[in-house]
Amino acid sequence: MIDWGWLLDHVGAILGRTVQHIELTAIALVVGFALSFLMALLSLRRPGVYTIVSGLAGIFFTIPSYAMFAAFVAFTGLSILTAEIPLVLYTFVIFIRNMVVGLQSVPRDVSEAAEGLGFTTRQRLIRVEIPLAIPLVMAGLRLASVSTIGLVTITSILGDSFGGLGFFITERPFFATEVLVGAIGSILLALGADVLFARLQRRLTPWSQVGRARTGDGLPRSTDRPVPA
Amino acid sequence: MSAAEPVAFDHVTKRYAGTADTQGGAVEDLSLEVPAGKICVLVGPSGCGKTTSLKMVNRLVEPTSGRVLVGGVDVMTRDVIELRRGIGYVIQQVGLFPHQTIGENVVTVPRLMGWTAARQRERAEELLGLVGLDPATYRDRYPAQLSGGERQRVGVARALAADPPILLMDEPFGAVDPIVRERLQNELLRLQEELAKTILFVTHDIDEAIKMGDLVAVMQVGGHLAQFGPPAEILANPASDFVARFVGADRGLKRLSLTRVGDVKLQQAVTATVGDSATEVRPRAWSAQPYLLLVDAAKRPIGWLEQARTPSSGTLTEDLAVAASPLMNRRTTLKDALSMLLDADVQVGIVVDRTGAVLGLLTAEMIAEWMRDTAAGPRPVDPMAAGADDSASPEATAPSAPVASTES
Amino acid sequence: MTILGSVAAWLTDPANWTGPGGIPIRLAQHIGISVASLAIGAAIALPAGLWIGHTRRGVRLAINLANLGRAVPSLAAIGILVPFTVLIDPEAGFKVYPTLIAMVLLAVPPILVNSYAGISEVDPDLVESARGMGLRERQILSAVEIPIALPVIIGGLRSATVQVVATATLGAIYGLGALGSFIVEGSAQRDDAKLFGGVVLVALLALTSEGLLGLLQRRLTSPGLRFAAR
Repeated sequence: MIDWGWLLDHVGAILGRTVQHIELTAIALVVGFALSFLMALLSLRRPGVYTIVSGLAGIFFTIPSYAMFAAFVAFTGLSILTAEIPLVLYTFVIFIRNMVVGLQSVPRDVSEAAEGLGFTTRQRLIRVEIPLAIPLVMAGLRLASVSTIGLVTITSILGDSFGGLGFFITERPFFATEVLVGAIGSILLALGADVLFARLQRRLTPWSQVGRARTGDGLPRSTDRPVPA
Repeated sequence: MSAAEPVAFDHVTKRYAGTADTQGGAVEDLSLEVPAGKICVLVGPSGCGKTTSLKMVNRLVEPTSGRVLVGGVDVMTRDVIELRRGIGYVIQQVGLFPHQTIGENVVTVPRLMGWTAARQRERAEELLGLVGLDPATYRDRYPAQLSGGERQRVGVARALAADPPILLMDEPFGAVDPIVRERLQNELLRLQEELAKTILFVTHDIDEAIKMGDLVAVMQVGGHLAQFGPPAEILANPASDFVARFVGADRGLKRLSLTRVGDVKLQQAVTATVGDSATEVRPRAWSAQPYLLLVDAAKRPIGWLEQARTPSSGTLTEDLAVAASPLMNRRTTLKDALSMLLDADVQVGIVVDRTGAVLGLLTAEMIAEWMRDTAAGPRPVDPMAAGADDSASPEATAPSAPVASTES
Repeated sequence: MTILGSVAAWLTDPANWTGPGGIPIRLAQHIGISVASLAIGAAIALPAGLWIGHTRRGVRLAINLANLGRAVPSLAAIGILVPFTVLIDPEAGFKVYPTLIAMVLLAVPPILVNSYAGISEVDPDLVESARGMGLRERQILSAVEIPIALPVIIGGLRSATVQVVATATLGAIYGLGALGSFIVEGSAQRDDAKLFGGVVLVALLALTSEGLLGLLQRRLTSPGLRFAAR
């Protein structure tokens, strides 16, 4: 069933595509994170902003990514922007919600205590609210990385220079070996990211082991919304 | 109304796999009998197994050994669903279904049993009225809209819905504030007078146990029954240091609050009536004691006549008497009576009937004697008293003069 | 502006509303396969999730399954099946089966996890009180746990719907038909109007179905629960 000859011949290509996959993911994560961080801070000052943003975000992630990528081609051609803009939008959508909810989820008595102790608003933000929001943000990072890895595979529709491991899935759909490399490869990548960030989350926030509501650890709540597909 | 059934524990033991039997939640060789129609309170500190024992009656927990009998029948031999539907169950958090209205919540068990909608509605109205909630107002509301006390009432109503002969209550009033709690306790006692169910009640509050229970079972950590008996007995004769400590150092006062003046044999009052001749009265009175109670024609007390102050001739008039003693009636608790004596700083109180006529006298000495007489057996030493002095014995010898000793 | 104009023109062109490649047929295909996969997925995941939530057994397995499901990219899910399903039937095994099966597989995790989580969120004291009153386990599930967990369970259906509609869109690459075909064809034919028409249609379908489920979610939440949430 498996053509080992082909595998051995294409090790370089496989590695190259894996690297590309990780690159595309990393860019989307970093940019998306930065943008949503800024937006989250802005939302703290002006709550109305968040309502609008989350409404728009809600619309974005419901739209299938394939349609998104295809739509962007008309504006940004077959460039990396066409791949990255939707990817960033999707990570933004995940991050912004987790950040804002995370910042809001700091218990009132904790911030009041901090205020009473003489923290300025900025100090409170840096020393108290952001650290306590980290679990939820980490959960968001985990979710976003897994989701983005999946979406990167779809960018293969934009042409041969994209797609990461997704390239192998669509290039010759009947060729089992190649398809398996692409599919299993991207699944492993996603699982790897999931485990990595889960470990990281636990390492960074030992206090958040109590109460899964705070960690947002995989289990949905009634207030949860779907993820981009 | 269905007849109440007795509940009995016959050498019941509950052990959890892999734990030593001294761990909290286990029960060790529990045996006691609750007669039909009585309230039995299981009381003790956290981890004494009182809730576990309660849950063995409706088989939410099953005994490791021993039998639990309801109406003489081992609960393990009965169909568990039938058993539970025949026992009312109230818990501290009430456990009302948040997604159903109060009316729907109340008839949960009747609905399970297949009552017609009309009968359910009727029963819901009846029950809400019984627990003091206006059906029209409350029937269509949701639990989240009610206060803690109101929710607890609904919980009781729900437990009574199918008219079960037995009621299990697990710290039902623990989650409400003391004022509401007292009201709910009184309401339950009132209900019990009407319904006469067999009630098993779990609490950690000894005062609640004494107030509510016909019988009290004191349990200690490890699931052992420390003492079982009427509240007066537990207070008067604690079976061990643990029970004495758990009951509290003020158990003497607690006992006094359980007894009323009418339960004590009163001392006869030697009286003289207004208008009596002083010379006639003399031999009768002064020999026995230096004070005489002056009463009016209707035998109502006016005050005390002191021998030294009373003229040896002429008629006895009101202004000769000194009114110093507090008045009490047969329903006054001994605790209140003692309190009144202390407030008035006198040794003697006058007991009167409904018309105000003198029935007899009650002295502080008599109260102390009653305490002594009803507490048979050695009293455990209070560990709080570091010295060797006998702080537990009420031997204060009071002077027999009824008025304040500061009088010149 | 021109894109909008041409899309509008394309959408209102009656020619696009007729024939096997027309909007109605493809819309029906998309809805059909989505509903089918959701139904199958729910038939598997819902009872399992409810049971796991009520008995608290197999929780580890459920969580691991959910993580696995989340990590599988939809394209990978379809692609990995193709070489095998073509062995069953060379045509349907390429166009329909892999996408359908992938959709079912991707629908299961969110439904499973949400059902489990919703049930396990129900106050255990409530469940014990119901048990103590004499409700059978099945009755506790149906009369108490499910009504309270319903909003979360339907949330799972919402997630699954988004996944499924998106995967059906992808399936067009393999010749499934459905609305994604407009995007595939529009892309191949350099027909922007068609492409964007497809995008708009897909977006509308996704938003509508998610919105409808959101309404259902609110409708099925007992008013008593809304009070409690305040």
